[in-house]
Amino acid sequence: MTAVLDRTRTPAPAHRPRRRAGNRTDQLFLLPAVAFVAVTVVYPLIYSVVQAFQDVGLREVIRGGADWVGFANFADQFGRAEFWQALWLSLVYTVGTVVLTYAGGLALALLFVRRFAGRNVMRALLMLAWILPTVVGANVWRWLLDGSYGLLNAVLRGLGLIDGDLFWLGQPGPAMVSVIAATAWSFAPFAMILLVAGLQGVPTMLYEAARIDGAGAWQQFRHVTLPALRPVSVTVMLLIFIFAFKTFDTIYLMTRGGPGGATLTLPLYAFQEAFEFRRYDTAAVATTVMLLVPLVLSIFYFRSLRREETA
Amino acid sequence: MTRERIRLVVAVAVTAVYLLPVYWMLNTSFKQQADVFARPPALVPVPPTLSAYQSAVFDDPDIGRGLLNTFVIATGTTLLTLVVAVPAAFALARLRIRWVTPALLLFLAVQMIPAVNLALPMFVLFGRVGLVNTYAGLIIANCSLSIPLAITIMRPYFLSVPGEVLEAARVDGCTTFGAFVRVALPVSIPGVITMAVVSFLGAWGEFVFGLALATGDELQPVSVVIAKLTNAFGTRWNELMAVSAVVAVPVIVLFVLLQRYIVAGLTDGATKG
Repeated sequence: MTAVLDRTRTPAPAHRPRRRAGNRTDQLFLLPAVAFVAVTVVYPLIYSVVQAFQDVGLREVIRGGADWVGFANFADQFGRAEFWQALWLSLVYTVGTVVLTYAGGLALALLFVRRFAGRNVMRALLMLAWILPTVVGANVWRWLLDGSYGLLNAVLRGLGLIDGDLFWLGQPGPAMVSVIAATAWSFAPFAMILLVAGLQGVPTMLYEAARIDGAGAWQQFRHVTLPALRPVSVTVMLLIFIFAFKTFDTIYLMTRGGPGGATLTLPLYAFQEAFEFRRYDTAAVATTVMLLVPLVLSIFYFRSLRREETA
Repeated sequence: MTRERIRLVVAVAVTAVYLLPVYWMLNTSFKQQADVFARPPALVPVPPTLSAYQSAVFDDPDIGRGLLNTFVIATGTTLLTLVVAVPAAFALARLRIRWVTPALLLFLAVQMIPAVNLALPMFVLFGRVGLVNTYAGLIIANCSLSIPLAITIMRPYFLSVPGEVLEAARVDGCTTFGAFVRVALPVSIPGVITMAVVSFLGAWGEFVFGLALATGDELQPVSVVIAKLTNAFGTRWNELMAVSAVVAVPVIVLFVLLQRYIVAGLTDGATKG
């Protein structure tokens, strides 16, 4: 669990002074947090973007000082097939995770929005998948997916769907599917909670009207639920996209980016450039690109918030 | 059967299947090494044994040290987060200060930043000031992401404290700090618990900062120790599952005890309003 984003309170109206202006020392309540984030987040980020324009190897890291090389690192990276491969794999992994998480989360939400005994307990239990430490989840999935003795293959063999061993994490395609599935497993309950709230907000009047017009269950879902759920769906998809795009731990723990680089997404690529090859400058190029994607998406995100609020 | 009954049965089945990985972890962790290779695998460990816990957890000093490190880092992160984030959330909710909207946007935007983007420059910068391979460095790194999240979680609780009450406290001669400590904080305890638990759990499972900033064995959190040992475990899945279970159990216990706060925090933080 990395982040819970608060989509409602963002543009809350600032409290304007009514009778007297706030005390100057009031500023001190906020100052430590802003200073902390400035030093530990904003400064390292700027530093890293600057590194992308310098020649930084192990020597420069130890001794300090680095030569300015302009866009040479970018030119180097943009000319490499490995870089584009990593970006492509990031997109495959991210989009796959968004689709699977949303589908799973919506299915769960449609079930758990209904009333029945023990509903809240079960909803809470599902959240366990979301709060379980990644290292635990990733290792359990590795074991479930083990080719010879894993539970999944035992089930598939029992059903007669496969014959012999299938090494999920040992082949490029299945490895990607596996990391996507493991990620979606942990994200879907989070999506469910948001979507349940969204479903509860759909006016029951709409369903009554649809029923009077003779709409069946599927038609109600298609023409009432989905359109009414749209704003929440957009939020959920954007959040999951951002979560998935920056995922490092699940993939690293399950495949280390393998087999043969088949799951080496951009965060793993950047980490490998820095900590295995000691190319801090090209790693910075990769992280800078990683920064741009959430940046662009956040703009979309805030815009969708605005629209929701004015709607 | 009524429709409600059918729903209940379906929901129980779905929940059970969904949490099967968690059960399978526990199941495997109580098995003998030989039983791990049974085909088809046994659905319950017969006879259950603690041998995997004995050999992989209690007899392995690396895991014990990793757990201790994780505990220190998670506790430190939680405390520092509380000290910094609670007053900030109060200020953003209830004080007449400048830059409220930019600060909120900053804290929200920070949560979208990949941990890798911070871990790489931190490794270089922390190296310069001697923070690599220190608890302080790991705690600071964890706080960089937990503080903005905590502020986002905490602020709504302060928003629900009526401004008039705080105003009255001030008219009665309370300083802002007095109004914060005596009036706002006591009624916002559920929020404090929520953010403390979320911060602790976040740091408990944290992996990237540990991997990048604890380069020596001494201070590595257990998540990194497990990742390092993963290959060494080879096919000793019962032992790997025992270690995983030990890491998961505090999370599960906290979750069961404080489930109300956690789920409320996660859902409120994300949807209300």
